[in-house]
Amino acid sequence: MSHPLKKHFKTSLLAFALLGLASVVISLSLGSVDIPFRNIVEILLSRIPFVGDLFSTHPGSPPTWDSIIMKIRLPRVLLGFIAGVSLSVSGSSMQGVFKNPMASPFILGVSAGAALGAAIGIFFGFPWYLLPVMAFIFAMGTMLTVFFLGRVRGRTDISTLLLAGLAMNFLMTAFTSLIIFYSDPAERMSIVAWTWGSLNGTVWNHVWISLPVMLLGSTVVYAYARDLNVIQTGETSAKQLGIEVEKTKIVQLITSSFLAAVVISFTGIIGFVGLIIPHASRLLVGPDHKKLIPISALLGGIFLVACDAASRMSGEIWVGVITGLFGAPFFIYLLIRNRGDTGW
Amino acid sequence: MVILQLEKVDTGYLKGEPVLKDLTMGMNKGEFIGVVGPNGSGKSTLIKCITKVLEPWEGTLKLKGRDVMELSRKEIAKNVAVVPQDTYISFPFSVEEVVLMGRSPYLGRFENYDKEDEKITKRSLKTTKTYEFRDRKINELSGGEMQRVIVARALAQDPDILLLDEATSHLDIGHKKEVMDTIKEKNEDEGLSVLSVHHNLNLAARYCNKILLLDDGEKHAFGRPEEVLTQANLRAVYGIEAEVHRHPKDGSLYISPVHKSIGTKEKGKTVHVVCGGGSSDGLFRKLIERGYEATAGVLNVMDSDHEKANFLDVLCVTEAPFSSISKEAYQKNLDLIRGSDAVVVTNFPVGEGNVMNLDAVDKGVGGDQKLILVKGKSIEKRDYTKDEKGVELYHKLLQKRHVEVVPFPESAVDILEEERTKDK
Repeated sequence: MSHPLKKHFKTSLLAFALLGLASVVISLSLGSVDIPFRNIVEILLSRIPFVGDLFSTHPGSPPTWDSIIMKIRLPRVLLGFIAGVSLSVSGSSMQGVFKNPMASPFILGVSAGAALGAAIGIFFGFPWYLLPVMAFIFAMGTMLTVFFLGRVRGRTDISTLLLAGLAMNFLMTAFTSLIIFYSDPAERMSIVAWTWGSLNGTVWNHVWISLPVMLLGSTVVYAYARDLNVIQTGETSAKQLGIEVEKTKIVQLITSSFLAAVVISFTGIIGFVGLIIPHASRLLVGPDHKKLIPISALLGGIFLVACDAASRMSGEIWVGVITGLFGAPFFIYLLIRNRGDTGW
Repeated sequence: MVILQLEKVDTGYLKGEPVLKDLTMGMNKGEFIGVVGPNGSGKSTLIKCITKVLEPWEGTLKLKGRDVMELSRKEIAKNVAVVPQDTYISFPFSVEEVVLMGRSPYLGRFENYDKEDEKITKRSLKTTKTYEFRDRKINELSGGEMQRVIVARALAQDPDILLLDEATSHLDIGHKKEVMDTIKEKNEDEGLSVLSVHHNLNLAARYCNKILLLDDGEKHAFGRPEEVLTQANLRAVYGIEAEVHRHPKDGSLYISPVHKSIGTKEKGKTVHVVCGGGSSDGLFRKLIERGYEATAGVLNVMDSDHEKANFLDVLCVTEAPFSSISKEAYQKNLDLIRGSDAVVVTNFPVGEGNVMNLDAVDKGVGGDQKLILVKGKSIEKRDYTKDEKGVELYHKLLQKRHVEVVPFPESAVDILEEERTKDK
């Protein structure tokens, strides 16, 4: 049956939220050191004001466990969740603006730009904390260039934008490869690793920066949910239904590129999440963005937390490889299922 | 009350190349105005201009007395709704979700549809007879169903003015009539003002009280159908010779282009075709390609076979849209049948309105004339007349001396070719 959760949207939303919480807690217990659930829950609860007082006297866990959870695993798992949410919301928005289920958060060249920024940083031996800055600057620079190339006579032309994105993606990738060519083997490995994404090495500051961006960005995208719905029936029709189409496109393109740029600046390029999660969500709740955006957000968070857990369990395989290994076959499955049919 | 007023409006897509030029026109509440003109004459541009998708470069456009330039898109959408020629929706929204979109001009950014919105949506679904399939996916509908859903969405906007941009041009004749009748009802019963762009002059003449004839972006004529759709105007704007008739029943006008009379006859080369409802398929084209002189009749104006015949300049006996064959048309058809070397009867659906065509073939086809019947759906299944007059006449035709039955309309031409080589 198509759209099985459409009629039970609120229940599904609650279920996914609980599943999200569970995925975070389970993921915290996974890693080279085994920490029981009970202790994880204790460590987490003891940090909550007032509630925590009830636990402070309890014969606690070894202090090393506390450090592992609080300094290493929690920020990493949270950033994984935040990245999953941001990329999926961004993907939902891009697919809406482009009226195309094949659009992704990276369609305006954000990922290729970020990769070049990171590669330049690595090549010139910048300190690690400047790499996200470099990635972000190049991501936004590429995005804005594509965006302005796509402006035709005062309006944002979707097909020109797509071609401009394609061209800039090639150009940035060519520059990155040029840098790889002139790098020594260690630098090469770092650059390649960056282009496949990893949550290893996450610190709390990454969370503190990306969390408000995720909240604000997702709210802005959600605020235009109905406008995105109406735009699916054609831009001229949408204007005639009272939608400010130009404004919607500009706000959505910039917000969703920004959402994606901030997280990949910290994690490197994690592909496929922003492409397949909106797809899967659409199969579950239908194309209405009022439902699609919240469900995508939660599903994306859960998916990336799970993929990152798999990455940790398998000796830190780059997480983008894992999302690709799961995502590409799923995508092919969708293609086969929907071949000759437009009913995504 | 003047509900829409254009004063010397210029607009277009590229600066310096106006598509609409110096257009002045007004619309009163409750009017049904048809906009006609050749391709590129600015018909659709006018609709874009009224909804501020294109802004007027010069002049003013007032909606209910207020300049559109001072109105927000939402305010315009509360007053004016548009049904475009076609709509493509890539994601599988349900019919109801699409119709609810008609309520969006009334909602704030974080507001949701309320009871009132749902009530109006339900009413629009019922008016357009789309309520039964409100849960179906929009991308699984047929063209006719889809267009009714888009009309429902426009009605859900609760507009004072409805703009139709060739809204029925992709629909077959039955669906055309259904959609237009629904809108006409809203116009007559509730005073909805309608401005309707038409490609088809006959459709405009049938439904509109007033017609605006555009020629290259300029107003050529504006007024009652009989004042605008004159032979002189049609000649000047479309460059065609046409006859303007009155519909025998409701008195509305209809137009049929006049064709050159049949030239020098070559023996065995004049063929009369009796068809209807698109059943002629590629027959006219093939006949003409092979050098035959084709005639047809009786066909209703706006029937798709009539449009095909017209397009290929086939001499055609016509009858007013949606009417039964008159005595006069019957006689003309009989003359054409008698004057031809061969007659082809396609497998068209037979009803009370056109059963006399079979009678004319029966009476008209003489001893030496070739008669070719196209098989397909059996006559029993396509005869919709009372007491099976169609079946009876068809069996009489099967008794003719030179009768032959072929599987497809085009195969009739092969039979004719064989016949001619035999003669030689």
